[in-house]
Amino acid sequence: MVSYKYSDKGTGIHRLNPWCKLAWIAGVCILALLFDSPVYLLLLSLSTLPVILAARVWKEWLSVMKFAFFLCLLIIVVNALVSNQGSHVLYQFPFAIPIAGAPRITLEGILWGVGNSLRLLAIISAFTVLMFAIHPDDLMLAMVKAKLPYKSVMVTSLSTKFVPALIDDAQRIADGKKSRGLELDKGGRIQRVKSYASIAIPLLSNSLDRAVQVAEAMESRAFGSGQKRTFYKELKLSKGDITILSFVFSSIAFGIFLRCLGQGGYQYYPVVEAVSLTASEWAMLFVLLLLVNTMPILALLKRKVSLG
Amino acid sequence: MVSIKNLTFYYSGSDKPALRDINLEIGDGEFVLLTGPSGGGKSSLCRCLNGLIPHFYGGKITGRVGVNGLDVTKHSTKELATMVGMVFQDPENQLVAMDVDSELAFGLENLAFAKEVIARRVEEALDTVGIVSLRHRATSELSGGEKQRVAIASVLALYPDILVLDEPTSELDPKGAEDVLNVVERLNDELGITVILVEHRLDRVVAHSDRVIVLEKGMITADGGPRSILSDGRISQSGVGIPPIIKLAQAVKSKGNLIDNTPLTVKEGRIALAKTLRHSKPFASRHSEHPSLSLRAEGVAIPRPFAIAHGDNKGPVIASPFYGIASETKQSHLKPLIEVKNLWHAYPDGFVALKGINLKVCPGEFVAIMGRNASGKTTLVKHFNGLLKPTKGDVILGDINTKEATVAELSRKVGYVFQNPNDHLFCDTVEEELAFTLNNLGVKSEEAKPLINRTLERFGLMQYRYQYPRFLSGGEKQRVALASILVAQPQVIILDEPTRGMEYRLKAELMKFLDQYRREGRAVILVTQDVEIAAEFSDRVVLLSEGKIVVDGPRREVLSRALLFSPQINRLAQALKSYGVSGDILTAEEMIEALK
Repeated sequence: MVSYKYSDKGTGIHRLNPWCKLAWIAGVCILALLFDSPVYLLLLSLSTLPVILAARVWKEWLSVMKFAFFLCLLIIVVNALVSNQGSHVLYQFPFAIPIAGAPRITLEGILWGVGNSLRLLAIISAFTVLMFAIHPDDLMLAMVKAKLPYKSVMVTSLSTKFVPALIDDAQRIADGKKSRGLELDKGGRIQRVKSYASIAIPLLSNSLDRAVQVAEAMESRAFGSGQKRTFYKELKLSKGDITILSFVFSSIAFGIFLRCLGQGGYQYYPVVEAVSLTASEWAMLFVLLLLVNTMPILALLKRKVSLG
Repeated sequence: MVSIKNLTFYYSGSDKPALRDINLEIGDGEFVLLTGPSGGGKSSLCRCLNGLIPHFYGGKITGRVGVNGLDVTKHSTKELATMVGMVFQDPENQLVAMDVDSELAFGLENLAFAKEVIARRVEEALDTVGIVSLRHRATSELSGGEKQRVAIASVLALYPDILVLDEPTSELDPKGAEDVLNVVERLNDELGITVILVEHRLDRVVAHSDRVIVLEKGMITADGGPRSILSDGRISQSGVGIPPIIKLAQAVKSKGNLIDNTPLTVKEGRIALAKTLRHSKPFASRHSEHPSLSLRAEGVAIPRPFAIAHGDNKGPVIASPFYGIASETKQSHLKPLIEVKNLWHAYPDGFVALKGINLKVCPGEFVAIMGRNASGKTTLVKHFNGLLKPTKGDVILGDINTKEATVAELSRKVGYVFQNPNDHLFCDTVEEELAFTLNNLGVKSEEAKPLINRTLERFGLMQYRYQYPRFLSGGEKQRVALASILVAQPQVIILDEPTRGMEYRLKAELMKFLDQYRREGRAVILVTQDVEIAAEFSDRVVLLSEGKIVVDGPRREVLSRALLFSPQINRLAQALKSYGVSGDILTAEEMIEALK
């Protein structure tokens, strides 16, 4: 069982200033959107792995990726079926749809799906760092510093905090109903809706009770007192953090520079392009990926230094 | 400090006052124990003290509530936050931050204190409550007792003059409750913080309080020192459980024996009772003519000096042939209802919760399953109706192996009542709640009608039959939940911590139902941490620790030889052994009987 909850594993990545991690995630996303070449996207996806490993969240990552994989499969299948363009026809359906014409599956259609799936995988992989290696309080603080309204941020943070409690509640209530002879998956559709209502009703009213109690407790501790709130924890950037940040920004800048040179582009339609990189292109790509990975390397070093 | 004059309060939409003409003065540094039946107005009174009433709840309020000279109706809860710290019942629903030190900082941040001040006060609060070791822990990973201590620290950081705690221990296990109450007592002793504590477990805190206030139907019906209030018979009529020691002292007194003061603790009881025993020579020698009831000084050497020590299982009042087989379970000739054979259970995360459990439960038994938190109690009983399946080993119900049956099929034989009745109830009327169970089990409606009627009758729920169950009082809800299980007449009924946070009268009522039920040749299995309940009502105790059965035997054997799991009176009896009192007495009634 993987719990989708933040847990502090105490790694260099967990200890790192959230701004560095947020910048890195933004960097990976920008680069993933910048490049079209499947080689670039594949290597970019892979280069998120050192961070995942360094943060020791690979179990959580794997379970998210399982889901992402199905999503990608869906994208590939749907695109292959819907896209009519492309010149290498693999299969021609024996019927025609009005206006759309005769559907067919092309090599280009499939490859486009694969290429864009790689893009998606890189982004999702980077976001697992956001979910599992940034302390929710830090994330909240970062959002407040980014001038989002405090109350909305607080409500978002509270609702994520109470999700596990809600799941426990639902489990307990379902157990209670099963113990009264309810068979949740039996009967027709109407019967099943009724069965689930027997869980949803207590769950809903328990949650409302909970909301009132939480509100009461917050009120008693002067929440929303009208004064401008102060923050106990700060997100001060150390020199090390600034170094890491500058590497992250330079990776983005370097990526943009490469793209301007015309590297990393790719054409799927109408005829799929052959993938061929010159030696200098390979070298530049290698430098880019190195820049992306300075974040975990420096974070681990920083942790070592601060412990030593 | 607190000054309440002619306070009357109505919740909006209610025509019955929740508080009626309250007049109350509480001075600096007092430790006030607020008690009374549920629905008596305790929580409402607490909420008046920091302005949650009327600011948060609305409603109609008359009279004046003054805290440090401020009228709460004119000052908001937020302004009062630095004077009155509130700690609530449910530890889950009052922590808002992810980790402990952020939690402590929350209130201070809201009041815009400077960062340096916050840092200092967080440090102080951690030290004062003694939770420095928890400072970096995630709040979601703490135990209930730890959460409550964090909640206390988080209001303490605001430097309140008054600490109001609304049943802070009712959701906790005994160890967690003890930790929380220790902290509260220390805050009062050492820092002089005024404490207003709502609490059911009088036996634990009464000795520490300066004053006991009883609230019934929104009115103060008693107010005074703990000794005078508790020795007054009226309080037991209000449904508040009198600590066994005090019950005993009253009985001794009423027999015309002298007893010093009213003892509030085991220690006081020990001293007072020893004195009484020493000084009433005729009292002791009168009984030496009956060796079996003797209170002779060498009594320890006499095996089982009292009839009750071995006779309670075959008491003359019991008519049912099933009753009283508990102590002979092992050689019982009856076919067991539940048979557990070498049961192991591992959760998906790898935690092994049960390690080779062997157990038989026979008709007519009342089994208490006890043990610390996470010792495997709930995991074990969830196997009895198939909610969990064995990883290894078997659970046999009559002729059915639970591995081969669904929970729904097993629910005909085994009823399972969860702790919180709110998890059970969802129908529009009480009657439908009972019908739901029968309908699930495929009972035809013409057969269901008489069953429902009989069950409603039995639980005294006829008058509520067409009411919305969630609007009933706590005790009534518990009864509806129980009725909704028992209407199917299962052979075994399991209750998981049913008495947690319940007042004594409701506990006793529930136990009466259960006792009646098992006399019909069925079995009752009670998961509990409440030693006094186990001592008074069960006849067999199974003690679990780390997934193994440590002891399984008649309650008297198990509970009188335990350190943690021994009732108050037993501790007293142990200490009075040299006066010939048997060391295995468990309840006040038995002790009174023995001293006759």
